[in-house]
Amino acid sequence: MDSQQATRHLEAIRTLMERAALYRRALAPVTLLTGTLGCLAGALGWIADLSEPRTFGWYWMGVAGVGLVAALVLIRRQALREREPFWSPPTRRVGQALLPPLVAGGMAGLLAVWPDWRDPLQMWWLPAIWMVIYGCALHAAGFFMNRGIAWLGWVFLLAGCACLWVLNERSYASGMPSLRHAHGLMALVFGGVHLAYGVYLHLTESRADAS
Amino acid sequence: MNPEPFLQLDRVIHEKGRLAMMSMLAASPRLSFTELRDALAMTDGNITAHARTLQEAGYIAVTKVFQAGRPLTTFSLTESGRAAFAGYVRLLERIVDQTRGQV
Repeated sequence: MDSQQATRHLEAIRTLMERAALYRRALAPVTLLTGTLGCLAGALGWIADLSEPRTFGWYWMGVAGVGLVAALVLIRRQALREREPFWSPPTRRVGQALLPPLVAGGMAGLLAVWPDWRDPLQMWWLPAIWMVIYGCALHAAGFFMNRGIAWLGWVFLLAGCACLWVLNERSYASGMPSLRHAHGLMALVFGGVHLAYGVYLHLTESRADAS
Repeated sequence: MNPEPFLQLDRVIHEKGRLAMMSMLAASPRLSFTELRDALAMTDGNITAHARTLQEAGYIAVTKVFQAGRPLTTFSLTESGRAAFAGYVRLLERIVDQTRGQV
């Protein structure tokens, strides 16, 4: 074996070790949980008619916070069951990829609710902006995860862009409907897409794990 | 060139398929049969044969459990497997360093 062969072997080992370091914990429980939470929160917002702009913003930031904590608890439980460290190197990489867009999403929410008064029209931009930012977050995390997370990111990103386009077209022409409908939009996109993806993962993860 | 490091390379690990399996297992506490097969694009028969060789050498542990009524096979490196893999990588590095020294 010469130096070049040994170098190639070492490079192959490094590549394979990096591939093995991808985030592997089951994603179906997390996506099913967040999807269910999104649908329930959207339904509650609709039924309770939380259409005051600041209430809408605070409400969905609260829902996002609850979803984040619940997801972390689930991931921790998975790690304990697998006898693996919670903050493993793949988890750390995913966290680092998610953090900047999630901070940006939080900031967008805070800027929207901070003033005492907000036009409902302006608050309608928030779901679309959150969709775009969340899509970017998932796409970034997709570099350290498999199971089509990057594609899911594109779904959110494109849904957000479509909403921005509709908002831009409609808001100046005929105004926007009550923010009550925005709860429906949030439930459809954040709830429905997560739920559908969770069902897909649940079916395919069970099949892929069995050998 | 001193051939000694090359002669010391562990023949069990040096085979391409087994080296790939050992590399992946070195970076992960545990991998399932399907994860290894899919990641390495190997056939079921290849994975089974290499896993048997590595298990007989004492380098990997094989665990079989039932999950939702279906068998789940997982592999992990043993302590001696981890030591052997580390030794193998060190030898490769020595071969690279040795040749560099001659240039």
